[in-house]
Amino acid sequence: MARISLRYLAYRLVVSYFVILGIMTLAFLLLRLMPGTFADALVSPDMPREAREAIVEQYGLNEPLWRQYLAFMVNYQTGQFGWSPTYGTEVWSLIERRLPRTLVLFGASFIFGYIIGPLVGMYLGWWRGTKRDKSVFAAGLVAYSMPAFWIAWLLIWLFNYELGWLPSSYMMSQYPDDPSLLAPFEQWTWWRAIVDVLHHIALPLFSIISVGWVGAMLVMRTQMNTVVDSDYVYLAKAKGLSERTVMIKHAARNALIPVATQAIVGVAFIIDGAVIIEYVFSWPGMGALIVDTVLRRDYPTAQAVFFILGVLIVVMRLLTDIAYTYLDPRISFEGGE
Amino acid sequence: MADHLLEINDLNVRYRMDGPDVHPVDGVSLTVDHGETFGLVGESGCGKTTLAKSIIQLLDSNGDVESGEIWFDGTLPAWTDERGEVRRDVVEDPQYPVREDGMTNLAELSLEQIRDVRWRNVALIPQSALNALNPVYKVGDQIVEAITRHEPGTDVEEARGRARDLLERVGIDRERADDYAHEFSGGMKQRAVIAMSMACSPDLLIADEPTTALDVIIQDRVLDEIKSLQNEFDVAMLIVSHDISVMAETCDRMGVMYGGKMMESGTTESIFERTANPYTLGLRNSFPTVEEDQEQLVSIPGTPPTLRDPNPGCRFVDRCPFAVEECRDSHPPMYDVDRALGEATDEVAHESACYRLDDLEQVQEDAAKEETWLQQTTH
Repeated sequence: MARISLRYLAYRLVVSYFVILGIMTLAFLLLRLMPGTFADALVSPDMPREAREAIVEQYGLNEPLWRQYLAFMVNYQTGQFGWSPTYGTEVWSLIERRLPRTLVLFGASFIFGYIIGPLVGMYLGWWRGTKRDKSVFAAGLVAYSMPAFWIAWLLIWLFNYELGWLPSSYMMSQYPDDPSLLAPFEQWTWWRAIVDVLHHIALPLFSIISVGWVGAMLVMRTQMNTVVDSDYVYLAKAKGLSERTVMIKHAARNALIPVATQAIVGVAFIIDGAVIIEYVFSWPGMGALIVDTVLRRDYPTAQAVFFILGVLIVVMRLLTDIAYTYLDPRISFEGGE
Repeated sequence: MADHLLEINDLNVRYRMDGPDVHPVDGVSLTVDHGETFGLVGESGCGKTTLAKSIIQLLDSNGDVESGEIWFDGTLPAWTDERGEVRRDVVEDPQYPVREDGMTNLAELSLEQIRDVRWRNVALIPQSALNALNPVYKVGDQIVEAITRHEPGTDVEEARGRARDLLERVGIDRERADDYAHEFSGGMKQRAVIAMSMACSPDLLIADEPTTALDVIIQDRVLDEIKSLQNEFDVAMLIVSHDISVMAETCDRMGVMYGGKMMESGTTESIFERTANPYTLGLRNSFPTVEEDQEQLVSIPGTPPTLRDPNPGCRFVDRCPFAVEECRDSHPPMYDVDRALGEATDEVAHESACYRLDDLEQVQEDAAKEETWLQQTTH
């Protein structure tokens, strides 16, 4: 079944590696293109001159840019992300703690968005032109046109402020920024911890999904429209298969292939959305961290977060490509290029 | 066993459109006997494919059988006794669309019921069989799917074996059952679909333009394949084609359709020997044949009518070089050709819907001349 050769996989890994080098370079450059410098955040005018110079030298900021860049590239590739002056800790220890939280939110959004989207798209495409199709389609477009953070505000207003059902911020009732993700699990029973997380994740998750499902729905609906008229769907009907079997097994299965293509773009959008939504809901993940550190000119942390999110997208793209070959037998990556 | 396998009476199919309804099949009757091959021929848009689709209710969602009957010799498993005969109480109960001789009116069946008839009793090779295999499933599995759908008790391994046998029967290696459609050549795909159509040994096989997408050499091979399978499985066939030469080669009897109406029907032999309808004559002129020495192919001028707003007269009147005043008033009924030629027989073997049957010989003679048809273009 596997139609991916090791050789192709190796080729893809090498390409991904170069993409990651590119992301590193961007992370390095973008933050240096911002007005002001890293040093401004570290020193203050009333410091003695020697103290200022000592700090500048300690962070290597007196070196020419190209040497800083080289050192940066070498450090990142050896897994050294530096020291965060604002948090007073290793950057990696910050990321280590926050990445799983982001992955929980992002992963759940991605999974739900890409279950709901194609499923709704399948029904709409199959029953195209009906009233239900038109109204759900229009509702989807409206949701798609709204910024996720605005929907988030509406949700907070309704479910938190007006109804008081759901919390508006943090991941858990206690220990919102505890160093250990597992701390509450040790002190509470595990199911209480899970219920608490679910309680907190509901609003941010819903905000991301409310926009995130539409992209997949639109592609799926259009594809179903095409596939419904295909000859193999006609033959499947002629074989006497039930409507359900024809729709799911023969039509939807084929319409799903371009959805995988859309997912490659959708992954980036959902990560994107998750970053903003995290900030809105004070979700203690990577998104809140990147906004926080950029505003405070904490370059080492900001560029590391930027970099890790970039790597996440590269990894997801690689996975979607592999998923592709399982969805569509016509695609094979057996030969290396 | 009833007299016929399929008996279509005065069938009207309607498509609901934005404007007035369209009737692509307008009062057509035909019969197909057990094991016989019946051909439906006509230009695109004459209703022949719609007629074929309506037999197993495969019309597009805006189409339905408005009136008429589609009697079929074969009943749902639920309505038969252990010997396979139709149960008496089913025949007598008016709620079941079953006739005294055991035939079922397919047009009256619910969607649920017709699904049991599809493929098990009436299989179909679709118009573009080349794209009819689902690209994401193995070819063998698609045959297995048909078998397990209609024979629910079947062991999957046994069904796989049967699928392989069928593929081998049409000249495809057993191992290729595990391949996907894109790994097959065009001819192989066509043959795979033909093999699939035989999976449940149907009583009737509808072949919709079975050769259109193929080159001439493959066409011939595919027709041979279909014919030999037909003999082996003892299945009746309804071939739909725009190519009248395919009819000559394969069909026992045939019908010529135009503008939703049956123009001429009868044994293939009789229709070719004494073509009794100007439309059929024109159609023959426009196709090359091996036997006759045609200097030039002559096409029928004009295009088929739109069916949206049919004129009250003969459907072919606007393109017919032999039209007389009478033709403009009403569409002609089917006349017995043998009787018109003064050779009355007990059984009607050849019918034609034309008012000019009286001077048929003159019509046939003129139709053979190119200028007869050319004059029409200036008309």
